[in-house]
Amino acid sequence: METTGACSTLGRVPPIIQCVQLTKRYGRSRGIEDLTLAIEPGEVFGFLGPNGAGKTTTIRTLLDLHRATSGSAQIFGLDSRRDSLAIRARTGNLAGDFAIAPQLTGHRALALAAAVRGVDDLTRAHDLAERFHADLTRPLRELSRGNRQKIGLLLALFHSPELLVLDEPTSGLDPLMQASFLELLEEERERGTTVFLSSHELSEVQQICDRVAMVREGRLVAVESVDEMRDRASRHVVAELAAASTADVFERLPGVSDVELVGAVLRCTVRGDVGPLVEALAQIGVHDLEIGRPSLDELFLERYREPVAA
Amino acid sequence: MRTWTGSTTVILTRERLSEQRFAPLIWGGAFGACGALMVFIWPVISDSIAQIGKAYPKALMEAFGMSGLDTVERYIDGELFGMLIPLAAAVLALRGVTRPTVAAEDAGQLDTWLTMPISRRALMWSSVISSGVILAATLLILYVVTMAASVLAGSGLSAAAFGRGVLNVWPLAMVFAGVAALAAGLMRGSGRVTGVTVGVLTAMYFADLAGKLASNVSDLRWISAFRYYGSAIEHGLDLTNVLGLSLTALALAAAGAECFNRRDI
Repeated sequence: METTGACSTLGRVPPIIQCVQLTKRYGRSRGIEDLTLAIEPGEVFGFLGPNGAGKTTTIRTLLDLHRATSGSAQIFGLDSRRDSLAIRARTGNLAGDFAIAPQLTGHRALALAAAVRGVDDLTRAHDLAERFHADLTRPLRELSRGNRQKIGLLLALFHSPELLVLDEPTSGLDPLMQASFLELLEEERERGTTVFLSSHELSEVQQICDRVAMVREGRLVAVESVDEMRDRASRHVVAELAAASTADVFERLPGVSDVELVGAVLRCTVRGDVGPLVEALAQIGVHDLEIGRPSLDELFLERYREPVAA
Repeated sequence: MRTWTGSTTVILTRERLSEQRFAPLIWGGAFGACGALMVFIWPVISDSIAQIGKAYPKALMEAFGMSGLDTVERYIDGELFGMLIPLAAAVLALRGVTRPTVAAEDAGQLDTWLTMPISRRALMWSSVISSGVILAATLLILYVVTMAASVLAGSGLSAAAFGRGVLNVWPLAMVFAGVAALAAGLMRGSGRVTGVTVGVLTAMYFADLAGKLASNVSDLRWISAFRYYGSAIEHGLDLTNVLGLSLTALALAAAGAECFNRRDI
């Protein structure tokens, strides 16, 4: 069985989520294709991709809202289809477009969710409501999108689940609440909760996630740690040369591309080892040197500019 | 951790009944107002209505389930239970099934509830059960309001006969709750499910009507739930038909719950 990323199960605690060639098609339309993935216990896992890439389809298939066309998915070592109820009892989920009946108040929704989950103690729910300044007294139709999202977060978190599946959790939240939410995720990580986070907010993924998967046109294109991804990726170099030189000196170097020499200022991109470039610069002499690591946004865009493998 | 479907069904049914607590008052109030109007005006119009009844073609009277218009019971039977109440009650029952299932799906609400430990079967059964309870409460209000009006107006409506007529509506309407459950199990979209169910309801009504009016298409009646509805006020409750319709509703709901359990949300 091949899994993507560092996820061998030999001699280790089994993954919380394990998908093997998970495929979901809608007739002839693509949903997700051969998704193989393992998420370790206690990991905060980011799931990135543009709209329509298959992020929500993956979540819906894992949570048994959609039935897989082929392949399999296990959560807590249980079959995502056959043991779906037992899985959902241990999972907290916030849907991408959170909605419940508009006439329900937060209190009522919470009471119903607690009854369904068999939770009697709502202390954590009320603590979370206080922390997020969630208004539990007004019907949802009277709340703004951000305030509705807070109720959604409460419903996902109040029962202290072992696994959190969050689809765009901070959409609609103001920056203060976003920060508060990220703090909460840090606490959840310390508590040992596994988090599967689908997001467009690359900065929050960069801040909170241990590993990131990128999905494109239904296929997984990368699974690696944020640091690994950045180490492997190209770096932007800007150097102010101490002596005159020509662009072809740098263009000949391995891994160097996009060379632009304007006056004494050299700009180029380096993929892989920066050693040869640094040596060449040392021979010429430099007044100033800046090697920029790309942001996750740039990595994301870089990945999506590459052609899709057949 | 709660995963037992039965207890979830009870929780969801209770929630649904609480959410729809005003529905019996609104629907039952409207039904009751129709019944009350009829029994109020009966003492005034009884003679002229009886004359009109005699002038009606016999086949047409039978087609609309009327054996005459000479008593208040027959008048109520023809005017209230012939078409108005059964069709409206069927719409109430099917709406009771579609709202928490396909309409909630359209609104994205099932993405929240069905990622909790709630089985789809429990959701469907709670919808059907709550629909049946709301319908029963609505019919009870129809009964109470109409009988109270009858006493006030002195129209002499038989409580037992009217009660039979009211009871007879429930299994028929629940068949269409079952049809809605099956449609919801087979397709997405509240509009489509409602359209299909109302289409089946209308087709069955006209199949029964056509079968009564024209002997060469009388076999059409066998496929219509209205064939087994009859006139409980005039002929009493046919327990075989009541049981048959109730079991049909149950079978349709069970099939709907199974299909709903299998399809994508």
